[in-house]
Amino acid sequence: MTDSASEPLDVTDQAILEQVRAVHSLVDPPPSDLDERVRFAIALENVDVEVARLVEDLLVGSGARGTERTRTITFDGDSRTIMVTMVDTPDGRVRMDGWLAPAARLRVELRLAGATPDAPATSEIVVSDDSGRFVFDGVAHGLAQLLVHPIDEGDATRVATPSLVL
Amino acid sequence: MTPVSTDTTPSAEAGHDDRRERLARCLERARSGELAALDEVVRELNPLLWHVARAQGLTVDQAADVVQTTWLELLQRLQEIRSPKALAAWLVTTTRREAWRVSNWRRQHKQEGTEILESTADRGPEPSERLVEDERDRVLWGHFQRLSERCRTLLRIVAQVDRPDYSIVADAMEMPRGSIGPTRGRCLAKLREMLLADPGWSSS
Repeated sequence: MTDSASEPLDVTDQAILEQVRAVHSLVDPPPSDLDERVRFAIALENVDVEVARLVEDLLVGSGARGTERTRTITFDGDSRTIMVTMVDTPDGRVRMDGWLAPAARLRVELRLAGATPDAPATSEIVVSDDSGRFVFDGVAHGLAQLLVHPIDEGDATRVATPSLVL
Repeated sequence: MTPVSTDTTPSAEAGHDDRRERLARCLERARSGELAALDEVVRELNPLLWHVARAQGLTVDQAADVVQTTWLELLQRLQEIRSPKALAAWLVTTTRREAWRVSNWRRQHKQEGTEILESTADRGPEPSERLVEDERDRVLWGHFQRLSERCRTLLRIVAQVDRPDYSIVADAMEMPRGSIGPTRGRCLAKLREMLLADPGWSSS
């Protein structure tokens, strides 16, 4: 099979393609924190995870009074949906109220990135109640990720979300 | 007038081989449990994945989430992927599928009455040309915008990959591998014709 894709490009074509690449990296560059967010999200101790995709990210509330706005994010995995509502608290921190569906008592881990890219991540762990609710209060702003683990180290699937910026 | 030759730039080919070897070593280390070795692979391939997601019409925030989701999904597949080329192909295919899933979900769940966070951050698929300061870049960007959407998408992605890896472009575009070359040829010829006819580009 002839394949003109493997035919050599002349220098003009190469220069044009190089310029196309350069101009795109000027007008539509990846966000500056994209590499960091990916590296944080995949730096997991156990890589056997089901991915819960971000399907909805809503800001609800009065725009005039920004402090009363809540942000609701829904993550959807094959086995479970995670919904979290976040609100800024007056002390400059974040309160996160979450629900798991189907509801279950599970260990919910909130991984938080260190203050600098080299600082180790920290984790807070809570257990959801029978109705699937969980709360993290007094959370610092920054890069975070939710992981849901079985209560016993059984065979139930672990679920991981992409990182989100609190 | 720019001289036309059929220079195949051997140094670029050598650079490609070096890069591929480096990525192969990183992949090997990651598969044996050293996940930090993926950092370099992330740095190398994120721009390609970004442009694949954006070329599907996703917002900045959606594209960033899709790229992350793709890497997370890779974790479970790491043991099955043997070469940097297979890795790039798998990542591009997954990015495209995830991007499609997002735009499809969005079409089905158009929210009304709530303020959607993305609407504030959404720069849309057409990036701002104010950022292009160099005159020659501006001329190219102007002509590039006049190409068909298919040509813009193809050239945008082709420009991100080394030439021996055009099968990755086929994955990204959902096009048969054999049609990438001819399509690229037509799109590039069109752009080149416009550029060479424009004194703002060809005389400098």
